[in-house]
Amino acid sequence: MKKIRDYINNADIRKFRFWLQLFFFVIFVFGAYFSIDLGHEIPVLSCGYDRENGGMCYFLPLQHQLARPLDLLFSVASITVLIGFLTFVLWFIVFNKAWCGYACPLGTMQDWLTSLRKIFGIRFSTYNQTQFDKLKKIKYFMLALVILAPILVGMGVLGGEWRTAFCEICPGRMITPLFVGDTSQWTIDFSSKSAMVLTALGMIITGLFIVGSFFKKRFFCFFCPMSAMHYIFSDAALIRLKKDGDKCTKCGDCYNVCDMQIKDIADDVESTNILRDDCTLCMKCVAACPEDDALHVDILNMKVFTSTKDGFAKRMQVNKWEAKDD
Amino acid sequence: MTKEINKHHIETPKEKQNRHKAMEAAAVLEKIKHEFKEPAKAMDYFYDLYDKVHCKHEALHDDKVKVGTMCIQVPAEIVHALDATPIRLCNGFYTDDEIGSDLLPQKSCPLVKATIGHFVSDNFSDKPDVVISPTTCDQKAKSGAIIEERGYKLFDMEFPRTKESEESREYWRRSVRKFTAQLSNDLNKKLTRKKLKESITKIGYAQHLYHQLNSLRKNENAPILGVDMFLVTNAFFFDNINNWISAIKPLIKEMEQRVKDEYNAAHKRSPRIVYTGSPPIFPNLKIPLTIEESDAIIVADETCSSNRMFNDMVSVDEWFVNDMVDAVADRYLKGCTCPIFTKNSDRIRRIVELVRDYKADGVVYQAFAGCQVYEMEQRSVLEAMEKEGIPILYVESDYSPNQGGQLTTRVEAFIESLKNRRKKRI
Repeated sequence: MKKIRDYINNADIRKFRFWLQLFFFVIFVFGAYFSIDLGHEIPVLSCGYDRENGGMCYFLPLQHQLARPLDLLFSVASITVLIGFLTFVLWFIVFNKAWCGYACPLGTMQDWLTSLRKIFGIRFSTYNQTQFDKLKKIKYFMLALVILAPILVGMGVLGGEWRTAFCEICPGRMITPLFVGDTSQWTIDFSSKSAMVLTALGMIITGLFIVGSFFKKRFFCFFCPMSAMHYIFSDAALIRLKKDGDKCTKCGDCYNVCDMQIKDIADDVESTNILRDDCTLCMKCVAACPEDDALHVDILNMKVFTSTKDGFAKRMQVNKWEAKDD
Repeated sequence: MTKEINKHHIETPKEKQNRHKAMEAAAVLEKIKHEFKEPAKAMDYFYDLYDKVHCKHEALHDDKVKVGTMCIQVPAEIVHALDATPIRLCNGFYTDDEIGSDLLPQKSCPLVKATIGHFVSDNFSDKPDVVISPTTCDQKAKSGAIIEERGYKLFDMEFPRTKESEESREYWRRSVRKFTAQLSNDLNKKLTRKKLKESITKIGYAQHLYHQLNSLRKNENAPILGVDMFLVTNAFFFDNINNWISAIKPLIKEMEQRVKDEYNAAHKRSPRIVYTGSPPIFPNLKIPLTIEESDAIIVADETCSSNRMFNDMVSVDEWFVNDMVDAVADRYLKGCTCPIFTKNSDRIRRIVELVRDYKADGVVYQAFAGCQVYEMEQRSVLEAMEKEGIPILYVESDYSPNQGGQLTTRVEAFIESLKNRRKKRI
């Protein structure tokens, strides 16, 4: 048992993550080729406009469902909406925000862009703390757009083209179908003024997505409404990111490697549940923590991956060194 | 007749100082070697090293550019990566303390006085080519000017006094970048990705070994004395890092064997002490020696001459020069528990954690008379320990050799009380 535990704690999390991300990418983007269909309630941005998807982002069906006329939305007929929602929550509860760090195809694409940048030898950019505090709020406005826009359509306040307003501006809609050779989303819809504005905005955001995530790690995740939605339920999840503040020296190693620049991970020594709304549960912080058991990932209060001095030394390659003649 | 007069050599002031320093050093080494149980064989390297450097005044780094550092905040990773060798100048000699007294206010910290004294006497076995002075505590920050007046090349490295804010982090990162650029320019060496990665790995490895050795002290039978451990860590100030690494490896092996054999460097019932406060720097091991001579054993410490120097490690996400330099910078600010910072709950948490982790019976808090920040922080630490139910002794000391009696009585009484507490618990 101790051997297994040591093996996991000493593991090179990057390799593990790379392969798992690739696996989920294939399932979500090309799943239909293998007749995989995980349903329409998947808590990641696995785009429904990709006709070959193996599991659809919950936002597309959700927006369609919420756009029903109000009286229908609040009737027994909408029990399916409720079931869909519960399915979403169930999916989410199993993996918590690890969906973002390990399964989201859009997240994976950003990590690939990061790798591309590394090959070019260009350094990543960061926000400063003030920018960060402002920008991170955007995702809640996005979530409001996901929920309110279709309801307003259902009430007849907004036109039908607002039904899937978020999808129109989501970079996933344009980029994901490209992987199955579908370029039909790369158009501006001139049918109405608002459709034109939305699709044009979508194009701009897609451009920003590609450029942004090339320079800034996980650029889009700061703005992702799915991430905001996750956070509402994350307290009920089975997998958790925990911190033992007594063992923390606030050295900031975790903060230093965090793609999402979450400062609390290093500075908060009070909270035991250290998962924050921006977190993607990528576990890089746990891998970068040099203190025994200061950060750990738990499943049902059982430590499955915990920070150790030895694991740190191994991953940072400081456990071996040979003097060279110089 | 004239021949004989010529033969008679009159000791120069420098030689006299060296003789006095050698006497101080030899006295402490003798105590460590002979007043306790048989020392570990692997410790011989360190005893010899101190003998060579402090008694025989031999140079260790003739072949390299020497970068003198006034505090632990100067990033050793960067100095090594630029093919220079860092030498920490914090000094523990009473001889130098007395020389420095002439230039500083009466109530200054003996460590600062001794460091200045060393520069005034200009009596280095390894003379630094450039001195880096991080603006940590007031006394050290102001010493820079005095050292510069003496004709040394000095670089003030700006260091923030708060560490929580993002501003201070960015400020310090800039300061480290500036230092890197300056040093690289002065030495006419380019900081390459490969060199920096190598030096981060080397220092990380040294830290890793330190942690391996240190964690053996968690055992019920601590295999190594605190004074020996202070010698080992203290040697990191000035030793050739490759030699230090090769010397500590056999020591770890020997200590692992001792743990297996349930060998205790002190005695089964010796109280276990966590040592905190102003740094004990060779040969000023007065308090650690007093503690261990009174049948207690230091199992952990929270001082900048030992644990704090090794504890926090660099973690890098992307191995580019800029990212590495920033990551190195973070190591020296974020985790530092020096009392110069405005708030310092981190230090208290650290001491409590050490007491738990190393199963200590009590804490000895030592402050140099004149080391204002440690003196000021004493009250809050004492209060916190009281809350946790951890016995703590606060002692003030300096470098003078004739303070022994009163100190010994206090330390002995404290240790006696710890023994009684232990008995009651059993």
